[in-house]
Amino acid sequence: MERMDAAEPLLDVRHLDIAFASGKKLTKRTEDVHFQVHPGEILSIVGESGCGKSITALSLLRLLNRQGRVVGGEVLFKGRDLLSMTEKELDRVRGREIAMVFQDIMYSLNPVFTIGNQMVETLRRHMGMQRGQARERAVELLEKTGISQPRSVMKKYPHMLSGGMRQRVMIAMALTCNPSLLIADEPTTALDVTIQLQIMQLLKKLRDETGMAILLITHDIGLVTEMADRVVVMYAGQCVEEASTQQLLESPAHPYTRALLRAVPGIHDPKDRRLYSIPGAVPEEYQDLPGCRFAPRCPYGQDCPGAREESQVNPGHMVRCCRAQEGREAYGA
Amino acid sequence: MERNTPVLSARDLRKAFPSDGERHLLRKGMHPAVDGVSFDIYPGQTFGLVGESGCGKSTVAKLLMGLEKLDSGEVYLEGQRIDQLAPKKLRPLRPQFQMVFQDSGSSLNPRKRVMDILSEPMLYHGVAKSDTVQARMDELLEQVGLPREMKHRYPHEFSGGQRQRICIARALSLRPKVIVLDEPVSALDVSVQAQILNLLRDLQEQMHLTYLFIGHGLGAVRYISHRIGVMYMGRLVESGDAEELFAHPAHPYTRALLDAVPVADYALRNRPRITLVGEVGELPASGNGCPFAPRCPMATASCLEHVPELKPLAGAPERTVACLRAGEQR
Repeated sequence: MERMDAAEPLLDVRHLDIAFASGKKLTKRTEDVHFQVHPGEILSIVGESGCGKSITALSLLRLLNRQGRVVGGEVLFKGRDLLSMTEKELDRVRGREIAMVFQDIMYSLNPVFTIGNQMVETLRRHMGMQRGQARERAVELLEKTGISQPRSVMKKYPHMLSGGMRQRVMIAMALTCNPSLLIADEPTTALDVTIQLQIMQLLKKLRDETGMAILLITHDIGLVTEMADRVVVMYAGQCVEEASTQQLLESPAHPYTRALLRAVPGIHDPKDRRLYSIPGAVPEEYQDLPGCRFAPRCPYGQDCPGAREESQVNPGHMVRCCRAQEGREAYGA
Repeated sequence: MERNTPVLSARDLRKAFPSDGERHLLRKGMHPAVDGVSFDIYPGQTFGLVGESGCGKSTVAKLLMGLEKLDSGEVYLEGQRIDQLAPKKLRPLRPQFQMVFQDSGSSLNPRKRVMDILSEPMLYHGVAKSDTVQARMDELLEQVGLPREMKHRYPHEFSGGQRQRICIARALSLRPKVIVLDEPVSALDVSVQAQILNLLRDLQEQMHLTYLFIGHGLGAVRYISHRIGVMYMGRLVESGDAEELFAHPAHPYTRALLDAVPVADYALRNRPRITLVGEVGELPASGNGCPFAPRCPMATASCLEHVPELKPLAGAPERTVACLRAGEQR
């Protein structure tokens, strides 16, 4: 979906710094993370484990655990800063305007209540519905997520459902209040590919029907390709590249993005293709790394002067690499 | 390649587990996890086994390794039947077939240093003596791309990718002919996954190793395998040359599986694809028939009558497919 740049962003994350306490020390896990989600848009944050994508998602609704805290930045939702709101104000945003689905579907549902129980309670609390009305609405929501026998599902406990069904229930619950933004943190990582496809098509359909925006957090660049309108690539706590999905796939500018794309084995690759493997591993502690954080693993940048600032390679295409242009040729991309 | 004796052969493997689910305790039935699976793996090659969770692929690995007892069926290692051997008789053969698991964290003893993890099996099986074991260890670590000083460390001091390298080194230490790799890269990040896949490929080339590679990441399985078998609900539904199979899948399940894989190619973003309805485990209402029929977009009435056998595909003898309508246009 093409977005209009003039439109007000729904969510505007600015210079977000998150730190985690270990003992008395505070360690920064993200630095200057920023992105915007526009109404009806699917924005994807992609990166490997430890890059800070999940804590970024959690911090938006102030759901970080006690060790983690936001030490700088703003999260503007419809112009209001979620980080400086009172708990009471935030409660009106959580679930109602911004809903969230997680990877750990098992832990997101209460094991001792039936699905129907949990859905009705949510509807009564958030929408102030009567029991009977809530029940009808729950059936409707489950139907919307492609569950063929909603009434029998409502009588079941979470453990009686398959992973795919549980994720549908989670999505149905997230839709309870017609949120304008859905944050989906690796929603299909625990699911099989054929079920993943069902869930992804469901999310797209819901986006098209309701106009809700989706912030999709994932490690799977293939999924990003198929789902996202725009992409933010994160590495070691920073946004290293941001572009439209097409720009990112067809002319990736950051060496990390390019390496990532070439490290994925495709199902139709030529037999003799050798995967590009990025040497080394993601640094575990990176807050004190001088210069570019990818430099130690970069194919042409061990001696990089280091780009901490971002630059624009094309309209709407930002990259945090000092050699984005020259590297492009060297890399043969 | 067909002229060689297979290094590892599975013949009609069967294994059923008691099913739980919603049934009444007394009516507990048996649920077939592996239901008549056969294949051969040839020297220096990789046979890939793909399928979704619960399809029985990991159970196949355990049956081959003797970690689960077969209900029926036969396992041959270089022509010798091994599934009925007493543990004592099997022990001297153990070095020849080794296994690497998905969760490297729990398959390495947390209280032992890497040097103990690597040296113990070698000393036990007499592959190295106490005077040569150090040198052999250094060699192994080098082969899997770890600095030799790291042998003094404990497993928790390594990253997931490094731990998987240690598991591979341990498997290699006994100079095996076959390595069974059960989802060895599924828990790893893409960049690390690429490192391990390349390592496995290189080691195979250098040492003429034979692999059984089990995975659900189709790209990874395709990358490492020469031949691939696709499993659905305990059965092989299709097998054949890796490239051929992925380029021209004959079974509707294989097609749907390949269609469901997200591809990092913008041009393919809106390609037509089959979306399967329902989920694994829904058996045909008739109680017999093709297990895939309830989800199959091509199913006809005859599909519900009996289970299709795995047969060579017309015009492609290397390929076998278990589908009445195999190879028909989609």
